[in-house]
Amino acid sequence: MVKIIVLVKQVLQTAELKIDKASKGIVTQGVPRVISETDKNAIEEAVRIKEKHGGKITAISMGSPEAKEALREALAMGVDEAILVTDPRFEGSDSHAVASVLAAAVTKILDYDLIICGAYSEDMFAFQVGPRLAELCNLPQFTYATKITLEGGKIIVERDLENERQIVEGKTPCLVTVVREINEPRLPTLMAIMASSKKPTSLWSGDDLSLTEEELGYNGSLDELLRSTVSSGERKRNILQGDPKDAVLKLTKTLQQEGVLKG
Amino acid sequence: MAQEKRDVWVFSEQPQHAFELLGKGKALSAELGSELVTLASTQSSADEYIRHGADKVLLVNNPLLEEFHVDTYTDALSELANEHKPEVILIGSTRNGLELAPRLAERLKTGCVTEATKIELDADKKFLLMDRVAMGGNIMETHISRSKPQIATVPKGLFSQNPPDPSRKGQVIVTQPKIKPPATKLLEKKPKEVKGVKLSDASIIVSFGRGVRKKEDLVLIEDFAKAIGGAIGCSRPIAEDLRWLPEEQYIGLSGQKVNPKLYFACGISGQIQHLTGIRNSKVIVSINNDPKAPIFEFSDYGIVGDLYVILPILTDAVRQLAKS
Repeated sequence: MVKIIVLVKQVLQTAELKIDKASKGIVTQGVPRVISETDKNAIEEAVRIKEKHGGKITAISMGSPEAKEALREALAMGVDEAILVTDPRFEGSDSHAVASVLAAAVTKILDYDLIICGAYSEDMFAFQVGPRLAELCNLPQFTYATKITLEGGKIIVERDLENERQIVEGKTPCLVTVVREINEPRLPTLMAIMASSKKPTSLWSGDDLSLTEEELGYNGSLDELLRSTVSSGERKRNILQGDPKDAVLKLTKTLQQEGVLKG
Repeated sequence: MAQEKRDVWVFSEQPQHAFELLGKGKALSAELGSELVTLASTQSSADEYIRHGADKVLLVNNPLLEEFHVDTYTDALSELANEHKPEVILIGSTRNGLELAPRLAERLKTGCVTEATKIELDADKKFLLMDRVAMGGNIMETHISRSKPQIATVPKGLFSQNPPDPSRKGQVIVTQPKIKPPATKLLEKKPKEVKGVKLSDASIIVSFGRGVRKKEDLVLIEDFAKAIGGAIGCSRPIAEDLRWLPEEQYIGLSGQKVNPKLYFACGISGQIQHLTGIRNSKVIVSINNDPKAPIFEFSDYGIVGDLYVILPILTDAVRQLAKS
């Protein structure tokens, strides 16, 4: 019996984001909200562990009220219970403020062996919440997992680093962050989707977690976003058309002049 | 009253990466009128850091620091930071660095900006302005930290190292911060097999995307890469969906981030995810048959045309140049 907490972030599907050239802003209207990709791997892994060892999976999502859709999908994939942690006062949270809220939620659940989450979120790629949460809960962390094996209170994790693969051993309770390679998330069956609506869900706010105003959102953050601008490439944009041979000749000549091509 | 020292600290478990951080750290500490400090676990690496610009090295002779472990390095750096109160800590943005920096920042109750793309002091030299990309590469954000030390992780290749100066002198301080044995144990490690030049080290990269229609046509790319002496990379769908190349070879926000002198994008449309991985390239050249492909907006040079026609001509031209 393994008690697992899986963390789920709902994100805008970044590949669908467009830049509005006139206002130089991002167009988010009509962009679908999805479960961040590695969090989906985390859900799948939790379900596979439960299928093997038995137990219970609780999914927690901190986010806007729309994130209940992400939790519904998690329930359909095999999660047993879902908690949406939402509060307008969370607005402006940095990764420290997010980790603090999640730490309070995890502490409220109290009884768990394993926390699993994605190594990064698809929108921010900050890699921060997992290690920060592990620190706040005083848990060992296993990052970039490609395989998780549990034996009694022992856990063995295969990790993917840039230049090597590692096998690391430790004890539960602990926190594991996963990368996409770990598994192929399932598509829930129609039956599972139907059944998911009967599973228990809760809604927690900052008050339910006994967090004070100073700990929440912008106030509770350590990092401050000063400004954000639409990212643009400042490149020469010297584009050649016409006869392929002429174009290639012009290109190689220019690259030689730039000193990036020998000859 | 004691004057604030405002020292700049750098750390990476990869020496070459640490030297780059020392290069940037030197500029920052000069502006702040403070010292550049790093952590070492052996005398020889301490000397190496001094040659590359460190004013002071905190030398910790503790077997627990021999191999990188997030637990022991968080202990060591947090203990030392609490004692010496640095202004800034720059950490190499390897996967090790990326699990260390947030855990360290949380222990020190400070902010952290991961994968910074630009770091500079504000006009009054009060804050570090740290840029990073967000929203899948669409947004460039500028952050400051409300508390100190101000921590950022920096990808390899963003800054350049200063040439080592054998005559340079620095201070080595032997210190023993309290370090607990790690909570997890490494059982085994296997280096990854990399064929040819590693993308992160390559000075020329030939990269391709969906514009290559069949796996057999890869020979076009291979021939060109061989002629020009470049490493081969690809866009995400080639590695993740088609699996024509291993995952280590796809370039993008979630994959490899590269910084070659010359980058060729062949048949790559230019999703923002891919562009974010190549933004540190010096010169970007693209070949695409769609004149409206977003990649052209992000290129220095481009040829609108069929890569099946262009590449053989280009390969020939490069071969001729090599002969002449």
